[in-house]
Amino acid sequence: MAFEIPKILYNGAIKENPLGKESNRITVGGETCYPFHLFEGNMPHPPKIAMEVYDATPEDWAQAALDPFTDVVHDPAAWAQKCVASYGAEMIALQLASTDPNAQNTTAEQAVETTKKVAAAIEVPLIVWGCCNVEKDTEVLKRIAEECTGENLILGPVEEDTHKALGAAAIAYQHTIAASTPIDINLAKQLNILLGNLGVPDERILVDPTVTGLGYGLEYCYSVMERDRMAALTQEDERLQFPIVCNLAKDVWKVKEAKLSDEDAPLLGDPTKRGVLLEAMTALLFLLAGGDILIMRHPDAIQLVRGFINDLMGS
Amino acid sequence: MILIGENLNIMVTSIGQAMKERNPKPIQDLAVAEAEAGVDYIDINLGPARKGGEELMEWMVTIVQEVVDLPLYLDTTNVKAIEAGLKAYKNKQGKAVVNSIMCRPERMEAQIPLVTKYDAGMVALLWGPEGMPRDAAERGLLATDILQRAAEAGVAGEDIWVDPIVTPVNVQQNQLLECNQFMSELEMIAEVLAPGCKSTCGLSNVSNGAPDHLRPILNQTYMMMLEKLGMKSCIVDAFDKDLHEIARGKRPENTAIVHRVLDGDEPDMGGLNKEAQGYVKTAKVILGHSLYSDSWLEL
Repeated sequence: MAFEIPKILYNGAIKENPLGKESNRITVGGETCYPFHLFEGNMPHPPKIAMEVYDATPEDWAQAALDPFTDVVHDPAAWAQKCVASYGAEMIALQLASTDPNAQNTTAEQAVETTKKVAAAIEVPLIVWGCCNVEKDTEVLKRIAEECTGENLILGPVEEDTHKALGAAAIAYQHTIAASTPIDINLAKQLNILLGNLGVPDERILVDPTVTGLGYGLEYCYSVMERDRMAALTQEDERLQFPIVCNLAKDVWKVKEAKLSDEDAPLLGDPTKRGVLLEAMTALLFLLAGGDILIMRHPDAIQLVRGFINDLMGS
Repeated sequence: MILIGENLNIMVTSIGQAMKERNPKPIQDLAVAEAEAGVDYIDINLGPARKGGEELMEWMVTIVQEVVDLPLYLDTTNVKAIEAGLKAYKNKQGKAVVNSIMCRPERMEAQIPLVTKYDAGMVALLWGPEGMPRDAAERGLLATDILQRAAEAGVAGEDIWVDPIVTPVNVQQNQLLECNQFMSELEMIAEVLAPGCKSTCGLSNVSNGAPDHLRPILNQTYMMMLEKLGMKSCIVDAFDKDLHEIARGKRPENTAIVHRVLDGDEPDMGGLNKEAQGYVKTAKVILGHSLYSDSWLEL
């Protein structure tokens, strides 16, 4: 008998989510096979990379991460434009780090103003990410949802504690949400169920499994994403068939290995390449685990990862 | 299915307090209530009992045996406390059972001789030198080791209760499959080493972490499965009436449908009432056909 290459039997598909303004829609998801298993199914929409923009000048960044943006770090709208014009960003992720009550504690009004400016400066879809403080995120993201009706923003993180308020806002003002759970497949499914019960349409839900950087427990995140795709694609688990967003750059670049200078850590190699490679490697692993949107920072890392995507997609 | 009541536990606030004050009344009342609820054994759980464990176990065995004749499971990791309990124990309706002996050389060497010395039973807990077994094969290796040692020491098969370790479905569902796999192999393993050996498990572990009101159906469904896989006993909440009914074979329809799911059948949900649907959904979650979430019954 002739040898037959074993193939995985799929019976589910990831939902297709349209993102961004009506004039400039992009779609993510739609996979009918494991990541890049193009010999078994389709990936109609290659994974997208969103470039990070911060709502206030970063204070503790590695020099390598700061260098490409020194001319724009004080102006989120200009920063976003540079990402699109100079580096071909497919999406922008506005990190509202300064709203954190433990940091600058900027107000919801300021966050709305920044979001509007950034949204007006670009045509690509805009992700708006809170500071991961339940009360502050609820207040800030709700206001942004209301004031930016029609932008179809992607709002995150939406957690179990905030899902009612933010889910309702997403329905009322037509935005997409990133449903966020702490590296736990069962909790991820539960939150998707709760959002569905609330009435959030499926095409407005993305999953944020919570990710971390290479060397800091990445394998746990990888396993959860892998399990997510197994349930979604081979077990018809309808409440897990959502595109996955990986907010990885902030965790990659905050670790000491990404920040140490040449003098402080001569054995760790060139500090510029080091952070870029940490970020690119982390991103590649999450692509292989099933990421649909990668939130990234450094243009060189992004270029590397785009190369990987093109190679793996055979384009 | 033999039922062992888990309620006399130092972790239960009122019981822990009574143990501390050496106040027999609440403990004896609970023991009598467990017996009246119909359990076959009563588990006395002292936890680690590092300080004064010997005296406490001796006292507990004495006062519980003043009011009930049921055999007892003596549950603590303190080896000396176990011996003190065995010394005080009187065999009225069966042997006392040491709960438990881990598959670690030093634990087995220290405790198996107690089992023969006092003519007791023993729970062979499949917890090895490296901790929790990773799969069915490791469970098999640990079981072989402890059954062999027990047999060599002269413990009869019927006095050994193998505990394969039940894990929570919401965090370690795949371990339940390994546990099931091992249970289906246990008789074969025991046939040579310890014919007639029994088995037991902390059933409520399966629902640990699930919402309180949903724990019973997880416990019940998993007990139905384990019964089919040859499990002889479960350590359970003595006051779960439904669980008793199932253990006594009084819910044959629901039990049969869970067994069908275990055999790989896909029962037609349309033809089932809501209760039976719940059991099917729960069985599928336990078997990993669908991923656990707190809302699994609503899907």
